[in-house]
Amino acid sequence: MDTSSPSVFVNAELLRVHIGKKVRAVVHVIQSDGEITTGKSTDEHQLIVKGLPHVSLMSYVEVIGIAESDQSIRAETWTNFGNTFDTQSYNQVCQLANGEFKGLFL
Amino acid sequence: MYGSEFDGSAAFSGGGFMPSQATQAPDPSFSTSKNRDSQSLLPLTVKQINEALLTSDDKSNFSIDGVEVNNVTLVGRVCNRTGRVTDVTFLLDDGTGRIECNKWVQEFVDSNEVEGILEGMYVRIHGHLKGFLGKRSLNVFSIRPITDFNEIASHFIDCIYVHLYNSRLRKLQGVGVTTQPQMPNPSSTPMMGHQATSVNQLSSQYGNVGGQKNIEQMVLDFLQLPASNADEKGVHRDFIAQQLRVSVDKLMLAIQNLVEEGMIYSTTDDFHFKSTING
Repeated sequence: MDTSSPSVFVNAELLRVHIGKKVRAVVHVIQSDGEITTGKSTDEHQLIVKGLPHVSLMSYVEVIGIAESDQSIRAETWTNFGNTFDTQSYNQVCQLANGEFKGLFL
Repeated sequence: MYGSEFDGSAAFSGGGFMPSQATQAPDPSFSTSKNRDSQSLLPLTVKQINEALLTSDDKSNFSIDGVEVNNVTLVGRVCNRTGRVTDVTFLLDDGTGRIECNKWVQEFVDSNEVEGILEGMYVRIHGHLKGFLGKRSLNVFSIRPITDFNEIASHFIDCIYVHLYNSRLRKLQGVGVTTQPQMPNPSSTPMMGHQATSVNQLSSQYGNVGGQKNIEQMVLDFLQLPASNADEKGVHRDFIAQQLRVSVDKLMLAIQNLVEEGMIYSTTDDFHFKSTING
């Protein structure tokens, strides 16, 4: 597990800015077949996460990994956030952490 | 022999037993750092800690946004956990960086607490920031696993808020007040929140009264009319009730509240009232 570099809070929209870098995102799992997990980002776009174990559907999972493309992340670590999660607040944090208050995060 | 080499005040300075020369000198920056306001708890990101400035003389004091940092609270994941009999060390990774943390295990409660902390777990930490030989680390008081993951977003919003509050207040204070580097009340950041909530509670209390509040406002408006102020005696309650078309019972309730709040007062007897605003 390499977490030496900072991992940026991202939603789908911000993912493309960080391709090749370490990111963290919360996805609402829609489909999971053990290889590729499809989920909804906090800004309601579809994201593909690779390398996750089988996770239960409709749960919120935080993924930390490398942004491979503008809609896929290769997971290194993950945490199950349960079945209820305030995506709106998290999405706001994503935006603030990449915008006005970047200095506190990156 | 020894006496000539041994300088007691130098050897014990900072030990807390003998006042060193430095503390006796009326250094304004030092005396303000002794202020109990600087003992506030700051929510921070690891990046902020890593970029924190060392306050010039004292090697163990940090400053962020112009506020002295002592006690901090962080949220992040536990990495590289090493448990020993006497203490537990780990790295806390909050996504903005990593910082070494150390928790001493003294009592049974402590060992219970740290045993529940596993690698990769999200935790909330309260601790004391210390610097040693240029390395920053946290002396942890409490470590608690996060069960509601909204706390992560909430923590970072806290960090942003406190940063904004401290940096903006410092800017407002202006360049002219350079002799006083500390804000008059840096710990008021958390207090600000409390003040805000108390105001909210107050207004919601009023909200509960509902209709009553409207009558109070009506009475107040009525008593502030120029016509109501014409007579020095004020206005009789029956006249107010008649004009506002409310029952005397309801009116007296509203009047009582207004009198208690100091908005109106009774004049020659208990039936005539005037607004305090118009004197």
